[in-house]
Amino acid sequence: MRISSNDAIALIDANNFYASCEQNINPNLRNKPVVILSNNDGCIIARSPEARALKIKMGTPYFKIKEKLNKLDIAVLSSNYSLYGDMSRRLMNLLKNYCEEIEIYSIDEAFVSISRPNDKNLYPWARNIRSLIYQNLGITITVGIGENKVRAKIANKLAKNIDYSAGIFDLARTKNENNYLKRISVDKIWGVGKQTSNWLQSKGIKNAKELRDMEENEITKKLGIVGKRLQLELKGYKCLPIEKKNNSKKEIQVSRSFGTPVTRLEDLTQALATHAIKASEKMRSLNLQSSDIRVFARTSKYSSQNYQRSVHRKLTNATDDTNSILKIVVELSKEIYNPEYKFSKAGVLMQDLTNSEYLQQSVINYKSQKDLKKSSNLMRTIDLLNKRFNNNAITWAITKKPQSWTMNKNFLSRSSTTDIEQIPTIVK
Amino acid sequence: MDSSDSTTKRFRIPLLNDSVSAGFPSPADDYTEENIDLNEHLISNPFSTFFLRVKGESMINAGIKDKDLIIVDKSLIAKPGDIVIAMIDGEFTIKRLSIKNDELYLKAENHNYPDFSFKNHIDVQIWGVVIYSIHSYS
Repeated sequence: MRISSNDAIALIDANNFYASCEQNINPNLRNKPVVILSNNDGCIIARSPEARALKIKMGTPYFKIKEKLNKLDIAVLSSNYSLYGDMSRRLMNLLKNYCEEIEIYSIDEAFVSISRPNDKNLYPWARNIRSLIYQNLGITITVGIGENKVRAKIANKLAKNIDYSAGIFDLARTKNENNYLKRISVDKIWGVGKQTSNWLQSKGIKNAKELRDMEENEITKKLGIVGKRLQLELKGYKCLPIEKKNNSKKEIQVSRSFGTPVTRLEDLTQALATHAIKASEKMRSLNLQSSDIRVFARTSKYSSQNYQRSVHRKLTNATDDTNSILKIVVELSKEIYNPEYKFSKAGVLMQDLTNSEYLQQSVINYKSQKDLKKSSNLMRTIDLLNKRFNNNAITWAITKKPQSWTMNKNFLSRSSTTDIEQIPTIVK
Repeated sequence: MDSSDSTTKRFRIPLLNDSVSAGFPSPADDYTEENIDLNEHLISNPFSTFFLRVKGESMINAGIKDKDLIIVDKSLIAKPGDIVIAMIDGEFTIKRLSIKNDELYLKAENHNYPDFSFKNHIDVQIWGVVIYSIHSYS
């Protein structure tokens, strides 16, 4: 059924989000070219508009472009996820006030639903929200509006590509829709992967308009219901609803890339233990307990070894106790270790999560309940102390030996918005 | 303990714990309320509020001293008379937004520091409005 034209979906995303966060909180970076490096300072994952103008490409490995960046006086920063995470939380919470439903899609983009006013014109709404976000956070957003998610995504692309759009485009209210859909090549359509895109191109389907008008049976035969749904959305029907945030987490993962490849068991164990402590802490803060603990490690995707392994342990009783979890993780780390491989990343995964509030009663005998209580009190005290004083005021001895595997973050900016010790200074 | 849990088909006998104490109950028990939370009272727009630290004495006449903690609400539109944070020449600056002869300028609240005229600078941004400064006396 074609939906009533009163409901619209918008895809709102932040432009150059990571670079904007850095530029907003550091006056020294304002209006200057800035690039952000991936974990481990590997390659360029974000650029300010000024760096784009200097033709710095996304994905370029840092070591290849180091000299050029230096020569052009481009500021280089490691990715600062405490800053981006905090700014993302602020952004999403502000957006909530200006729409009916919101689905946070990634750190810097969200689908929102909004009803059209009597004159059907959502440009004033979009302009208002755009200037508001800029005023509140110093971040520029792009608003793409359509009848559904697929078309909102396309509208967002058009808003970025059309000079006179001023960061807003409403695909449902344009007169020459065909011309606009022709500008979107099939591989840029939301939900079209590499394989699908190759198949479509082999069939002579090059852009969104051609996909919309393609023979329906042909799509369904090859791509099934997913393809049919995609075509229906391109036509303006709404198939994919806004998915409201699901509070029940299915699993908690903590993983990091290594600064230098890890070959010794001792280092691997230490890294996994550090992640396990963090994951346990996170579970307790969400009142969750796990009864299936997994650890994994892999070699670099770029190395010829290409080895990865993951092992897990099921538990009879779910737990959030760091000591018990550490014991298991240390054992599991021996299982995945292999001296022949250079590991580049490892992590722990807490699976089969249950809410600990419901679990209190199910403990079998008195002695273990007493022990449980004792250990849970200890964990709670440690969490409290770590919250009051800085992170890791209290931690486990295993993490305290020198850590040779930690990630390279040589150009990390400060936690300017989340840590009172690191807030910016006003000098004049 | 929950004795109404019918799924377990077991009776639970409540143990005496600390909350059942001998002696007189506190007359204040019924009046227990939450602590005063300064965040709640000082910050009305938490998602646009940021903290900064002052260095120097350029705002001393406005009562803002060296090392003070500054609370800035970026959602507010700056008006003349407001104390504002501006980004000027790659630095954060704190000044009072003022008006003289129909022209806006940034006023230092200390005679030893220069005022700041918008005319001479291309790259100025009013970053946010100061809503509180917190001074420590220890």
